[in-house]
Amino acid sequence: MSDKSKTASLAGRIGGICLLALAIVYGIGGSRIEYAFASDPLGPRVIPVMLAIILGVLCLFHLRKPGTTEPFPTGTLLGKTLAVPALIIVVVLLLEPLGFAASIFVLTAGVGRIFGASWRKALLGAAGQALLWWFVFSYLLEVYLPKGALFG
Amino acid sequence: MNLEYLWGGFAVALTFQNLAIGFIGCFIGTMVGALPAIGPINGIALLLPIAYTMGLPPESTMILLASIYCGAEYGGRISSILLNVPGDAGAVMTALDGYPLARQGRAGEALMLSGIASFVGGMIGATGLALFAPLLASLATGFGPAEYFVLMVFAFATLGSMVGNQPVKTLIGCTLGLMLATVGLDATSGAYRFTFNEPELGDGIEFVVLVIGLFSISEALLILEHQASGLTVIRQLGRMFVRADDIRKSIGTTLRSSVIGFIVGVLPGTGASVSSAIAYTTAKRLSDTEGTFGKGDMRGLAAPEAANNATACGAFVPMLTLGVPGSGTTAVMLGALMLYNIQPGPMLLTERPEIVGGLVASLFIGNILLLILNLPLVNLFARVLTVPNWLLVPGILVLSIVGVYSTHASGFSVLLMLAIGMVGWLLRKLGFDMAPIILGFVLGHVMEINLRNALAISGGDVSILFQSKISLVLWVLAAGMAVLPLVLARRAKKRLKVAAPA
Repeated sequence: MSDKSKTASLAGRIGGICLLALAIVYGIGGSRIEYAFASDPLGPRVIPVMLAIILGVLCLFHLRKPGTTEPFPTGTLLGKTLAVPALIIVVVLLLEPLGFAASIFVLTAGVGRIFGASWRKALLGAAGQALLWWFVFSYLLEVYLPKGALFG
Repeated sequence: MNLEYLWGGFAVALTFQNLAIGFIGCFIGTMVGALPAIGPINGIALLLPIAYTMGLPPESTMILLASIYCGAEYGGRISSILLNVPGDAGAVMTALDGYPLARQGRAGEALMLSGIASFVGGMIGATGLALFAPLLASLATGFGPAEYFVLMVFAFATLGSMVGNQPVKTLIGCTLGLMLATVGLDATSGAYRFTFNEPELGDGIEFVVLVIGLFSISEALLILEHQASGLTVIRQLGRMFVRADDIRKSIGTTLRSSVIGFIVGVLPGTGASVSSAIAYTTAKRLSDTEGTFGKGDMRGLAAPEAANNATACGAFVPMLTLGVPGSGTTAVMLGALMLYNIQPGPMLLTERPEIVGGLVASLFIGNILLLILNLPLVNLFARVLTVPNWLLVPGILVLSIVGVYSTHASGFSVLLMLAIGMVGWLLRKLGFDMAPIILGFVLGHVMEINLRNALAISGGDVSILFQSKISLVLWVLAAGMAVLPLVLARRAKKRLKVAAPA
């Protein structure tokens, strides 16, 4: 077995163990659901417990033979991959105070940079997108979006 | 056979608003299909919340989503032919003969012929759907809770083929979907399950949040890793009119592939990737007497394109008549119906004929629109391929955030979407497919309610699940279906290996 496929099966096994842990936690949580009454013989607990058992058994099969996985990103690529969700969190926090158009500008400029655009391109592209999406959603489709302090 | 619903459907689909919606859907769908990064399921996931918050009636939303779905099947061929990168899963086989043709300077002809093949496939698929839907729906009207439950088991049993070579992962995906569906208030007992005292989880996880997280967010992260480098779009399209001789030679293949595509589409769980592979290998086996397949044979181009468009229509049969989706994309559409509090199933056709009829009619109209759009405007769609990722991905993310935010006007939904997207990305890296999770989620609630109702009727006696003839037949079918698609996929693979020793 080559080094690459070894790490692949290792990643698959770690994933399988996480899923198994999920099955256990979910099953325990399911068995402790509190309810006052049930109008059917099964009640709200049985199905979650059943699903936990099914997932657990499937995980055992999976752990025995984790199958093919894709290599995980490392180094700069990993940093970029994590930067995208981080940026989204920032934008969600900015959405209410700054408003839609300004936060979209931050998002598109940032993600543009992460995807390799130069500052000039990223900022120009972001300005264009902020304008376009603001026009489409706030003006054309009249979707409710926070107006915020800077433009609507 | 009663086709009244269809005529009523044409009346719905031919209103100005729905025609315009269908046109927009076809246009967006073709673009979405042409972009190698995103497929029909992403397009639908992104536009569904917008359609919903705009207050479109359910039949209009269905028409929009169906047009995008069919448009994407048309559009997928463009990047297969010009870029040698399939625009979506159904267009993988199209590249085999399409790209060599483009390299010979015959891209224009290839695009036109594949457009016509797509049209024929789509029309035959839509006709099949129009005829079969009422037939299947009338068969299924005798279903009680027990039969429904077994039907869902049957649906999961057929899923093995979605990720044919890794059935355990498919089943894990389904189970995860079923588990996600248990979050929220349990209506029969009033118990809150897995809500962690978070009021926004009281109604369960929003379908839109789950779909956009799993498909758009994880997709954006994958695009980052797969940033294509050194790919060149073939810009010389050559002559735009296909030779009459080529059309004549492809007629038989196109018709045969359309029928294959439709049948595969009807089987729950098997999508366009399977049908186009079967159609291509069948065409090669029957017609490749001179060994030209794979080197730029028009028939090798027509076969997968006719098949994947027919499959898209076929996939609506189980979704509209049984409430069991035939593909990942129809699973999302099923979820869309549920957003409108419409319970899909055999009664849908009698209770809401305007939805079923409107959708079926819009497929006929959409195919004509798509043919008209795709022949002269193919150059415009080809230009979409040159949109750089640094513009495209931020656009996808904006649509994702707006879509999720607009349904609840809360940052919590967006963060939940992000968390789901990250988990989805991890799962995809580990070789899991997202479609089974969606299927599990969409069917989970219905499945649980029906099981609990059935057992409430029988007083807890499990044998009710095996009592009626219908359930027994479904159990047998479920066992058979679990095996059949696996055999089909294996055969297709084997043939491919013989066909193209790489």
